[in-house]
Amino acid sequence: MRKRLVPVLLGLAGLGALFAYTQGQKPLDPFEEAMRQRQMYLETFGVLPGELFVEEGKELFHRKGPSGKTLEACDFGKGPGVLEGVYAILPRYFPDSRKVEDLESRVYTCMQTVQGYKPGEIKREEVQAITTYIASFSSKAKIQVVPKHPEELAMYNLGRELWYTRAGSRDMSCAVCHDQYAGQRVRLSPVRSPKQGLGNEWPAYRFEADKLYTMEDRINFCYESIGIHPPAFYSEPHIALTVYMLAEATKAGKTFEELPFFTR
Amino acid sequence: MKRSAVLAIGLLLLGLGFSQLSPFKARLQAAIQSGGPEFAQVMLGQDKAQALCTQYRDKLPPELIPAFLEEQKALIKYPQNGKLMGDWKNGEKVFTDPRRGNCYACHQGVADEVAHGTMGPSLLNYGARGQSEAVVRYTYEKIYNAWAFVPCSLMYRGGVHGLFTPEETADLVAFLLDPESPINRR
Repeated sequence: MRKRLVPVLLGLAGLGALFAYTQGQKPLDPFEEAMRQRQMYLETFGVLPGELFVEEGKELFHRKGPSGKTLEACDFGKGPGVLEGVYAILPRYFPDSRKVEDLESRVYTCMQTVQGYKPGEIKREEVQAITTYIASFSSKAKIQVVPKHPEELAMYNLGRELWYTRAGSRDMSCAVCHDQYAGQRVRLSPVRSPKQGLGNEWPAYRFEADKLYTMEDRINFCYESIGIHPPAFYSEPHIALTVYMLAEATKAGKTFEELPFFTR
Repeated sequence: MKRSAVLAIGLLLLGLGFSQLSPFKARLQAAIQSGGPEFAQVMLGQDKAQALCTQYRDKLPPELIPAFLEEQKALIKYPQNGKLMGDWKNGEKVFTDPRRGNCYACHQGVADEVAHGTMGPSLLNYGARGQSEAVVRYTYEKIYNAWAFVPCSLMYRGGVHGLFTPEETADLVAFLLDPESPINRR
């Protein structure tokens, strides 16, 4: 029922944005525009689209898998059943999987090892929704990604190397835009550096795309934009880049936005 | 005799050592490969220039710059008919197309396009530079291969990578320099 409202709402929002866009002489401020759209959702429907994903994620989190267990039996970094603030300390090393995992790959792992799903049975949309639900317990939390374990340090170093890797037909790297040109815009999208808190707004609902993006989705969108086929979900490039970005954001004392965020 | 044998073995081992990937490089390759074959193909398929920019974090040591620029200059190809100014109308299409020039991602162009990036300099009224041979040639070569001027710049090498042909590069030059082009109309 609630979900049906979204297309209608988007139609309205889209028209509004188009009007503002065609009438505006000056480039729109993307943040202001997003906040205006967000307000419109709240006033018209009393709910933000991101909250629908949280609700869906909550149901899936408490759904029993083939093993008869729910995701309450999964340790997300502060012990099984604890969700408060876990998103702020991820990615981190998990002794049971012997891997550094971000929230998304941790959900993917636990759905297999704790709940007994086969990889082919795990839908990407379900992982997105569950990730959004868990991340909502870290809304406005201080980011605390400090690599200490050797595997975490290795991931940080790999992430930094990937960050600077120039490749593809556009000759791009993350750094060439996000470090050297932080504060500027690509089209209308603002470009921030990790030290400015890059990555602190995902999972977020992007009204422009009418989709919920997790951090991994956003990294893939970036790679696609620079002509590089994006890495597979839950793979090491995602984990490494996320460790690098959030460790830098941690050093700069950044906090998460309201999660799930609402953005352009 | 004995000493030279030890030396030879030492050199052999050293050579073997250099021919192997460093542990970090090997680990990086494995991480990239875990992202899937299509991702790995691009990331591990860096050309020499991209690898240098990566290694030096986009700040090449001064002693490497002359050879770098020379190699990049040599990659520039020119239109068959020798004309470096083509058709501005087609140039506008290539300029705007996200899959081709995608120039608005970074540059301001035609005044009424407000959704433009700000990472590159504004190209509004670029034609004020005139159409001297030097201006036309510089504009052509910069668009075709930006790294022939500024090593490891954000501006990518569109011509080198075949995102547009030499003829289309000339069309882009016309879009920037032709007085009839909307970039130069107030």
